Amino acid sequence: MDKKFWILLGVMIVLSPLFAYAAEIVGYSEPLENVAEMVGAEEKPFYDGLLPDYTVPGIDPYTGTLISGLIGTLITLGVAYGLAKVASNKRL
Amino acid sequence: MHIPDGFLDLSIAALFYLLTGIVVGFSLFKAKEELDERKAPLVGMVAAAIFAAQMLNWPIPGGTSAHFVGGALAGILLGPFAGCLAMTSVLVIQGLVFADGGLTALGANVWNMAVVNVFVGYYVYRISSEKISTTAAAFVAGWIGITLAAIFAGIEIGLSSSFDFSIGVTVPVMGIWHTILGILEGIITAGVIGYITSVRPDLLQTRVLTG
Repeated sequence: MDKKFWILLGVMIVLSPLFAYAAEIVGYSEPLENVAEMVGAEEKPFYDGLLPDYTVPGIDPYTGTLISGLIGTLITLGVAYGLAKVASNKRL
Repeated sequence: MHIPDGFLDLSIAALFYLLTGIVVGFSLFKAKEELDERKAPLVGMVAAAIFAAQMLNWPIPGGTSAHFVGGALAGILLGPFAGCLAMTSVLVIQGLVFADGGLTALGANVWNMAVVNVFVGYYVYRISSEKISTTAAAFVAGWIGITLAAIFAGIEIGLSSSFDFSIGVTVPVMGIWHTILGILEGIITAGVIGYITSVRPDLLQTRVLTG
């Protein structure tokens, strides 16, 4: 089970650029974006993040997505694990 | 379903930061009932898998796209408090590192996907699994959890001036679309729970059976 889990995780990360490519071709939006367009609401971004929209500045977007997926997954693994470790401390 | 900056009035954003802060704080305190040292890595694994799954945006025939959200799955696998912490980790990292979901909207996004989706999903699963199989209960939990999360997103934007306070439009649109897209969320949730029930029933513990 453990081994299968890491394989699944790796497969999802490797697939992420493919999904980004497919999303760009079809140009579909989420319901939230659609309803925003219906009523004319606009995003007002003021913060780009370190890896804006799952890309790495200066690198082609698909490699950037792959790197973003890898980095994001690892950070999430670490942060959630750390948080759970702190939360599981019975003395707190 | 990640609300970007500019969609929410600051009063709505602040209200949901407050509500979210209370629930996440309480979860941090209560999660020890669900966790021990042995289970902490599982929280990291579930969160990491949900982060990766959320990167996969599926084009849905007809012109909409959707990705798995996973709040119900996290609640069922980890318990609602630890599940809330796992989902909060995902959303905070998405917002801070990737600007996916606005910083002002982070409280609302955590509320929708790490609080409503997790707790509703968990309790729907727990109640319905007494009557139907765990796989069927997981489907219903995934489906209802995501739909209610979307309805909350509809309420938050619909109460904001940038959406002309058109809550009569935003709630039905978000609710109806995610009721349809939520079927996929339910199928994936059921698939994972069904698989884990067959290979690692210990992970699902006896929480459901004895609770």
